[in-house]
Amino acid sequence: MSAASLHSRTAGKPSAGIPPTGRGGAPRKARRNRRWMIFSLLPVVLFFVVLSVFPVFNLIGTSLYDVRWSGGDSTYHFIGLENYRQLFSTEVIYWAGLRNTLIFAVCAVTAQMILGFSMALAVKRAGAMGRTLLTGIFLLPIVVPPIVIGSVWRLVLGREFGLANGFLGLFGIPPVDWLGNPDIALASVIFVDVWHWTPFVFILMLAGLEAIDEEVLEAARMDVRSSWQEIRHVIVPMMLPTIVITLMFRIILSFKVFDEVYLLTSGGPGTATEVVNFSIYRVFFNQDRVGYGSAMAVITLFGMTLAIIVGRGLLVRKRKNDERKLEQ
Amino acid sequence: MKTITARLLAGSTAIAAVATFAAAANAADTVRIAINQSPWLDSFIEMVDLYESETGNTVELDVVPFTGLLEKIRNSLRAADGDYDIVNVNALWLPEIYSAGYLKPLAEIREGYKLGDGTLSYGGTTYWDSTTGTFSEDGQLLGVPLNGNVQVLYYNSEIYDRLNLEVPQDWDGLIANAKAIQAEGDAYGFVPRAARGSIVYNFTPYAYTQNGAYVTVKGDKSVEVSINSPEVLKALEVYLTLANEAGPPNPGAIAQGEMIQLMSTGRGAQTIGVIAAWGSFENPNESRVAGKIEATLIPAGPTGTRASSAGHWVAGIAGNVSPERQDAALDFLDWFQGLDVQTAYVRAGGVPVRGDLGKTDLGQSEEFRFIEAYSENAANAVMALPFPQANEVSDALALRLNQAVIGELEPAAALNDAADAIAEIFEREGYDVSRLPAL
Repeated sequence: MSAASLHSRTAGKPSAGIPPTGRGGAPRKARRNRRWMIFSLLPVVLFFVVLSVFPVFNLIGTSLYDVRWSGGDSTYHFIGLENYRQLFSTEVIYWAGLRNTLIFAVCAVTAQMILGFSMALAVKRAGAMGRTLLTGIFLLPIVVPPIVIGSVWRLVLGREFGLANGFLGLFGIPPVDWLGNPDIALASVIFVDVWHWTPFVFILMLAGLEAIDEEVLEAARMDVRSSWQEIRHVIVPMMLPTIVITLMFRIILSFKVFDEVYLLTSGGPGTATEVVNFSIYRVFFNQDRVGYGSAMAVITLFGMTLAIIVGRGLLVRKRKNDERKLEQ
Repeated sequence: MKTITARLLAGSTAIAAVATFAAAANAADTVRIAINQSPWLDSFIEMVDLYESETGNTVELDVVPFTGLLEKIRNSLRAADGDYDIVNVNALWLPEIYSAGYLKPLAEIREGYKLGDGTLSYGGTTYWDSTTGTFSEDGQLLGVPLNGNVQVLYYNSEIYDRLNLEVPQDWDGLIANAKAIQAEGDAYGFVPRAARGSIVYNFTPYAYTQNGAYVTVKGDKSVEVSINSPEVLKALEVYLTLANEAGPPNPGAIAQGEMIQLMSTGRGAQTIGVIAAWGSFENPNESRVAGKIEATLIPAGPTGTRASSAGHWVAGIAGNVSPERQDAALDFLDWFQGLDVQTAYVRAGGVPVRGDLGKTDLGQSEEFRFIEAYSENAANAVMALPFPQANEVSDALALRLNQAVIGELEPAAALNDAADAIAEIFEREGYDVSRLPAL
């Protein structure tokens, strides 16, 4: 449940623990509280504006310029929406990257959510010893630095000398070109990302599961016929806030994918594993086209924000519908 | 009281130490260099140690991974006061850095300064002519090469001996050898370096030996996009024949690391690769074919044209540091080109920047038998993208060439697409662009 929906539900109702205040003192105290709230939140707001809002506006502003460096100085030529026109009319690599990023986000996040949730359930139901052991094993990939992950998986998935093909060879299966075949290279990168980030989902899901009151679960078990029904009709609805937050985190992080692609395939072969961050990096830092790179970043930022708002809106609407059905 | 005095003393000592260090770092005889992490870095560090012991001057190295160096160089050169006196610039970045006017012409630091006798200019890439906007020995000398790196043809002599193969002089000979080796089945006949990040550099000798060119600079802000010429198409067909008929099954995914791996394990019999890979082939701890790999001239085209691609590093002196610092930096670069220093550099594992070591005892020795092939290929080195938009053009071209290798585009379509993308870049930059008819 989001903070906003919590607030909307409790607003106007006197809380059980706080006695109602008298008529005369209340407005004055409320004013004082409000002032204190503003005063105490101001540094955080300023911090947010300086570190988040200003860079975004700066990015939008820069995307309207052609930035050049010459004679040891920078010059900004205002070109209006020219960078956006180019991006939408002639760009090839960025759009291939955006398509791949969307495929990557949907496939990787779906797999991570299902696996992470299943692993959390397994650990929750294991004994004390098994719980410690499984948690340790499941969390291992997330503590490995990305550069090591890239190197390790490159060695595992290499066509000529890779461990995976060595293993397949034991069964007489011919070597598979995991990273060099354009048809399966993106799937290989998704697989590595799932391996890397499922523990993140697992740990949040486990925390959500641990927070569910055992008595409530026991009571609910009386009304269900199978474990599947318990998961579907009891655990998942109770875990929905955790699931939504985890999903949002993972979608945002999956749009940020860079290191795995860079280390495993560098975006190739062709544009098979190109992702938006790689395109932006190349334009911004390699080609030094700051304005054009900013336009790419702005489109990505707005696209991602829109996707999250729409996705969250759909989930909230679904939840409200479910609640309405329950009330009826 | 004693404690307070002790703390004050310790504090003063620390401040004095920091001040001394800062003063030392600011001294004009301390040369600050931004340099990339690389297999040859250790040999360069040995030369720095030698310089310090011979002159008493100090050199500070800021070692940066390859991918981060360009941005670090830009940041330092664009500042009011530079962090580095010398910046080590990769061949592909040279036009951008030269054309932006960041570097101090060496003849303005020391009147009449020229490269040392025997020092290679790698197709004139140490000079920049600002009137035509390209490399030219008619322009100003802006740098000294710090590490030579050109491509050579490598072959496994054991396989050659077994199959009675001759060292190829032209592309047909190379293809014939590659097919013969492939037919035997013990090794891949040829290993191309055709991954997206490598292919432009790797393909360059093919195109230029066929008398082709990607883009021809015709004058100030005037270019001809010639990537879709019949000559380059012929070169691409040769490349694809080697890659698809005699190469590993995934040529479009082979970068430098994979190429070295295949050659040093004996799985690859021939390749066109950088001379810097020699150390990996010869090191018995890394290679199963140490002592069996030979380097030679890249095959000639139908009219006898030879070419290699320049992938060297050039040290430029920053324009935004004091004249004393610039002078100290030039002292170091001048010393570095000396015959004795270059000989020591090769012995330490570096790739020389002189073309005359092949005639010395060093070049005639078995251990350094690569020197002659290196010098000959260096003399033919071309810089295929001699304009400030090199990075962008390289990215556009790399994608299409790689797509041709993996079969996503037909060779002619790949070159036509590349020509469209490259022409668009130059038109956007305000160039007068001429084109060839589509293939």
